Amino acid sequence: MHKEIIYNQSAKPTGSRFMRALRKNSFGYMLMLPSIVLTFVFAYVPMPGIIAAFKDYNIFLGLWNSPWVGLEHVREIFETPMLRQAIFNTLELSLLTILVGFPAPIILALMINEIKDGLFKRSVQTLSYLPHFLSWIAVVGLAYSFFDLYGPLNDLLLKLSGGEGERIMFLSKQELFLPFLLLLSVWKEVGWGTVVYLAAITSIDPSLYEAAKIDGANRWKQHLYITLPGLKMTTILLLIFTLGTLFNSNFELVYGMQNAFISYDVISTIVYSSGIQQGNYSMAAAVGFLQGLVALLLTVGANTISKKTTGISIW
Amino acid sequence: MNHESLSYRIFKVGNASLLILIVVAMVFPYLNVLAYALNDPMDSQFGGLTFYPRELSFANFEMLLTNSAIIQSTLISVLRVVIGTAFALLIQYTCAYAFTLKGLQGKGIILIFLMIPMYFGGGLIPVYLLYSKMHLLNNFLVYILPVSFSLYNMVIIRSFLYTIPDSLAESARIDGANEFVIMLRIYVPLSMPILAVMALWTAVYHWNDWTTTLYFITDQKLNTLQYILMQILKEGERMASMFQEAIRAGITSGANTQPQVTPQAIRAANIILTTIPIVIVYPFLQKHFVKGITLGAVKE
Repeated sequence: MHKEIIYNQSAKPTGSRFMRALRKNSFGYMLMLPSIVLTFVFAYVPMPGIIAAFKDYNIFLGLWNSPWVGLEHVREIFETPMLRQAIFNTLELSLLTILVGFPAPIILALMINEIKDGLFKRSVQTLSYLPHFLSWIAVVGLAYSFFDLYGPLNDLLLKLSGGEGERIMFLSKQELFLPFLLLLSVWKEVGWGTVVYLAAITSIDPSLYEAAKIDGANRWKQHLYITLPGLKMTTILLLIFTLGTLFNSNFELVYGMQNAFISYDVISTIVYSSGIQQGNYSMAAAVGFLQGLVALLLTVGANTISKKTTGISIW
Repeated sequence: MNHESLSYRIFKVGNASLLILIVVAMVFPYLNVLAYALNDPMDSQFGGLTFYPRELSFANFEMLLTNSAIIQSTLISVLRVVIGTAFALLIQYTCAYAFTLKGLQGKGIILIFLMIPMYFGGGLIPVYLLYSKMHLLNNFLVYILPVSFSLYNMVIIRSFLYTIPDSLAESARIDGANEFVIMLRIYVPLSMPILAVMALWTAVYHWNDWTTTLYFITDQKLNTLQYILMQILKEGERMASMFQEAIRAGITSGANTQPQVTPQAIRAANIILTTIPIVIVYPFLQKHFVKGITLGAVKE
């Protein structure tokens, strides 16, 4: 393939100027072609597969020949208590994750920003980014060990109670499951989340702070009137992206933490277990389709509202 | 500054202490697992380990590193990282480079075409049905091909390429170099900083991913290390089969003087094994990762 380009390029220019321009550009199109083909095959070709959601998919008949059932599966979703519960759980988990996980890196970034540049600051940053680079399943593994019956938390509690207390199986407690999910999400991503905010803080014009100091603003006031407004743009952009993922519960975390003592499902775990494990393709496709649709509407909605009220848009 | 108020000084001390606490919370769970992984497994059963091993022992790693499933999955993980990263960089770099070429018609439409899947996709099931038709289930290529193009990475590389002045390429063109040579000899060497960042991101993604295996792979020979960790955490059979193999190989048995190994200790050692490559290279890479994300955030 490359030889051909070299030949084309080194050949004496022939034909019209238009042909020459096209030939010159063919190099560019060829460079883009693999990306276009890969995107087409792996992102666009599956899209019509969504019709599985409106059919009674049968492996032997194939997608096109399976009988249509219309909105049967969508209706079924809302009539199955387990699925209704999963939808509720997904929303609840996502909202709580945003509520806890979204402000956390902003606060941490402000705290880190308060220390002078130096070894301590760099160490805090470096160490707090670390969990981001571990896989979710490794984080789940760390949680299994930390909250183990003979893990460090139980050791500590036992010591504090003077050896009187019972060891607790934390991860088998239904009521603790949701708090654990939130804790692990924040633990893994809070440090990394500060990177963007710290970069935004550094890009704020230092003369603003100088001026405020001369006007007699203390540090608290400087943050309130300079730093926080300076972070507005970054915050809103990130919030729009986050809202788009409201229905994409973290499969890796929830699936990793599920165990025999816990009854808790989100949409993505249902899609996996009923779709791929049990072969209810149509039902799982319908659930996945609704999830994708809602995510799209949420992103567009959040972006529209932001554009109208603040003028900030991701497009 | 000696005119700092008392309340501000108190705040500074409080702030620093709180940050130290946060850092301890980030690091301690890992150090604790490391201690368990390196501790004598019989001794570990009583708990009480903090951040250093009480009785140093390599029994856990000895059992892990001689296990056939672990060896095979390590090989797959490494192959996946190397091939997946190289292929993804090739695809993304060439695409980004093409976007910086002047006079290329239809760039806008192509960008929109590449962007739409970021906001809408068919979901897992249509993808699964497609892969099964394409014979990508239980195929190593399922690790490489579907994730090779990333719009986000492509846009970041493109932003970087825009910072390279045109004059170099222009003078090469006058000297008669063709477009391919210009890209390879002039732009690629100058793009090394951004290529390093992208290579790191992609390699970490490939090393850490395990859901691809969960969804699309049932052939044990194609399991990755992360997937084995998931099985060890969640499925009793994986742990049981590892113990059987170790007993057959004479590494551990209840009867003789060999150190016995416990599931908890194996779990700890496995967490270390799957994360150690990242933890070791992490201090050197951290800066590059940050560079990449800030470049993306500032430019776009």
